[in-house]
Amino acid sequence: MSRCKTVKFFYDLVPLKPWRGLLIRRHIEKCPRCLAGLASREEAGSLLVQEGANIADFLWTEVEKALLAESGGEHVKDRTIRPVVMRPRGWAVAAILLLIFIAGFLLFKDFRSDDVSSAAAVPARFELEYVRVGGQPANTVVYQPQGSDMIIVWAGKSP
Amino acid sequence: MDEQELIAGCLRGRMEDFRMIVERYSAPAMALAMNILGNRADAEDACQELFIQVYRHLKSYDKDRSFKNWVYTILYRRCLDQLKKRRRSAELVKKMGRETVLVTPANPGHSHSARRLPSDLMDKLKAKERTALSLWANEGYTAGEIGEVLLCSASTARVYLFQARKKIKKLLEQGDVSLQNG
Repeated sequence: MSRCKTVKFFYDLVPLKPWRGLLIRRHIEKCPRCLAGLASREEAGSLLVQEGANIADFLWTEVEKALLAESGGEHVKDRTIRPVVMRPRGWAVAAILLLIFIAGFLLFKDFRSDDVSSAAAVPARFELEYVRVGGQPANTVVYQPQGSDMIIVWAGKSP
Repeated sequence: MDEQELIAGCLRGRMEDFRMIVERYSAPAMALAMNILGNRADAEDACQELFIQVYRHLKSYDKDRSFKNWVYTILYRRCLDQLKKRRRSAELVKKMGRETVLVTPANPGHSHSARRLPSDLMDKLKAKERTALSLWANEGYTAGEIGEVLLCSASTARVYLFQARKKIKKLLEQGDVSLQNG
């Protein structure tokens, strides 16, 4: 009994939660006399609201509405992926789109091949703008043997 | 269905899974909110905000923590916000010089079954004490778990619970008529 009073005295004396928590854990929770001064689970439960009424439907309606408004009108329910079911009209449209795509691809391919051939022709052109030897304009001879792709450039020092 | 599966489903965008979470938690969340706030209309608002927050922040939920505790932590914070709002509006009304405030329920369709927390519990117990008491009496939470919800240490939670139990015992011994629930 005297110990309970001492604990109570120190509990009131030092208003620090860790200290009070320690006293509760060490003494009050284990002492039947101290526990008698506290409400039991049943007593507390009889005063509290124990089970909120089931308002899941009401809450869900409101929450869904709020989430829909947040997502900018997009129907949240439809965010799950569903298998695509196409009607005959849909197939026809898809076929036309496919044909347009193939035709476009072929046309583009032709243009591209032209571009490629002209681009490929560029290295075949030979240009020589200026040749210097020893800091002076060179005496240059360009020679291509008949029937050959080979080009020979002869650059000699100017006299 | 397992809770973690439901969460994974929600993260994949399956609204049906989120609906199941709402169904699973709406009744206990309402009970906790009513015990903190004292009336149904505010509790409904808090629960509504709770589930919106849960949906928004589900990505940040740490799977190592208890989902229930995480949900209750959000609810506790929403309830504190509601109490702050209520205090502010009460101060405003006081400034305006009115004596009485007429509070209409947010959802009149449900108000017929509304239960209020005994007024003495609201007056004598702090919000933290009511939360600790509700989690302990209704959910069987330990001081450590209560601390997780209240975001404080187990020692501090123990103190809140002790104060609440002591006050309730005192009220019960006084045989106060205003403690009649209903």
